[in-house]
Amino acid sequence: MRDRSWEARGRGARAAAPVGLLLLILFPLILLPLAAVFLFAFRGGPQSFLEALRSREAQFALRFSLLIAFATAGVNAVLGTFAAYVLSRHRFPGQRALAIVVNLPVAIPTVVVGTSLLLLWGPIGLLGRWLDPLGIQPMFAPAGVLLAHLFVTFPYMVGAVKPVLDEIETTYEEAAYTIGANAWQTFRLVLLPAIKGGLFSGALLTFAHSLGEFGATVLVSGNLRLRTQTAPLYIFAQFEAGNVTQANAVAAVLATLSFVIFFFLLRDTTPGGSRK
Amino acid sequence: MILPIAFCVGLLTYAVWPWLPFARAAQPPRTIVFYGFSILSDVMTSGIFPAFQKAWAAEGKAPVEFVSSFAGSGTVTNQIILGVPAQLALLSLESDAERLASAGVIAPGSWRRLPFQGVVNRTPFVIVVRKGNPSAIHDFADLARSGIGVVHPDPATSGGANWSVVAEYGAGLRRSGGNAQAAEAQLRGIWKNVVAQAASARAARVQFDQGFGDALVTYEQEPLWDRTRGKFRGEIVYPSSTILSEHTLVVIDKHIGPADREVIARFVDFLWSEPAQRIFVAYGFRSVLPQLEGANPGFGKIEDPFLIADFGGWTHARPEIVDGIWKRRVMASLHP
Repeated sequence: MRDRSWEARGRGARAAAPVGLLLLILFPLILLPLAAVFLFAFRGGPQSFLEALRSREAQFALRFSLLIAFATAGVNAVLGTFAAYVLSRHRFPGQRALAIVVNLPVAIPTVVVGTSLLLLWGPIGLLGRWLDPLGIQPMFAPAGVLLAHLFVTFPYMVGAVKPVLDEIETTYEEAAYTIGANAWQTFRLVLLPAIKGGLFSGALLTFAHSLGEFGATVLVSGNLRLRTQTAPLYIFAQFEAGNVTQANAVAAVLATLSFVIFFFLLRDTTPGGSRK
Repeated sequence: MILPIAFCVGLLTYAVWPWLPFARAAQPPRTIVFYGFSILSDVMTSGIFPAFQKAWAAEGKAPVEFVSSFAGSGTVTNQIILGVPAQLALLSLESDAERLASAGVIAPGSWRRLPFQGVVNRTPFVIVVRKGNPSAIHDFADLARSGIGVVHPDPATSGGANWSVVAEYGAGLRRSGGNAQAAEAQLRGIWKNVVAQAASARAARVQFDQGFGDALVTYEQEPLWDRTRGKFRGEIVYPSSTILSEHTLVVIDKHIGPADREVIARFVDFLWSEPAQRIFVAYGFRSVLPQLEGANPGFGKIEDPFLIADFGGWTHARPEIVDGIWKRRVMASLHP
């Protein structure tokens, strides 16, 4: 152990130049813009920061975003794990194609997702035009926002759970079956404990992405204050209206939430962290 | 593992709090869904809506709440055509109302049956320059000088941008005694200098405030309201000849249930009442009521104001000036 740390220190000395260069690049690229959000948010003092946060619209936007993020993470935890299970445990024709479909949302621009959802479920859309007379209108309502977020974040859950499942040998499951466990018991007692870490990090990633989703949401939500306006839409609307303080207060909260989520992600999924 | 779980539970509790049974208001209030073009955001949310809620509550009626959204007039119109549940929309352009009618959202010409043909308020188009007017801009013609950077909203999504295009062209036409070629040359000169095109008039102003360009073409209401709030850092230049924009209200009947009819009809009437018109004036709009003409001492004088009616209304101005001259001739020649 001592040897190793000595070696690492030696390498550290040689790494000083590239690390310095990297910091020099990261500083204006990532760190300074983030700092600017916080500096601007608190420029009018903590009083005006809190006042901006306390406005009804800001409170609604934050709560609505959190609810959507929780719902998205919950639904996708189930759907994503199921998709990962099917893709990992079964061999069937078209499997590769299906694996690509599952990961497709990562590659599609979110604005395109919003447009396609509108053209399907919107009141003049392919399916929406039949639902509209029945009084069912998922778009421009919380349901539409949830649909968009489920679509956009779907691959994160699969991406986090499938590699873990792939590594677990099927012999454990077979052993469980041979001693009489049914499929649900096998999943709950054998697989679930093993994929817990993947589930956790997948859910966190999904949550974080949902919290920040903008491109699809702006189209499918109708951007209605106090009804469908999420926190990122609120930030954009307030910034566009020139209310920089209001925009920055919520932006600072979102940024802080993301920091906390990433702190959990790093702490709990890197080797040497508290778990795993 | 305990920390993240505690954190999640805390967040979730915060998020669902207003919807919990014991925290919830006894009865969800009635709502009016209102869409407006970009610069209306302040006057509606902090002026008109609260005033109406107060007047409505003073009659002992159950409280009413406003659900609102503000964006460029063209954006709002497209959203309504796509099906957002708007009940009322205050649009910058009558031609956007006409688009709604031809999409079957409202009855053709329905807004003309409202008071003042549906026009709620107006404001002339002006030029905003930096403090001290360092580029010596005094009229639209100066925006065409080389080296001037003009911030302009985008006519595809912004009603204000359409008004600006007609203002720039119309002013050229009137100053040259009706010479269409001179007017088009002036429009081309200005658009050669456009350095930023934002989606809405409000967004264009934010860009200008952040330091882009030397001049901004916008509603007089924008700088006036900023000046009232003590936030205005530039100067207003009144062109010798410019357009007075008129903003049209549309009522989207098919989104109004029987239970909402009374309160919405009352709100529509309220918009043209003297108290509401005074609020518009206080926020820098010019009233349609003759008795409030000139009520705001900040209103600047315009030598030769004109209206969209002088060009045969938007039914003619949009295809002939915005699409015909600006889009197909000016923009095509600047960006071939």
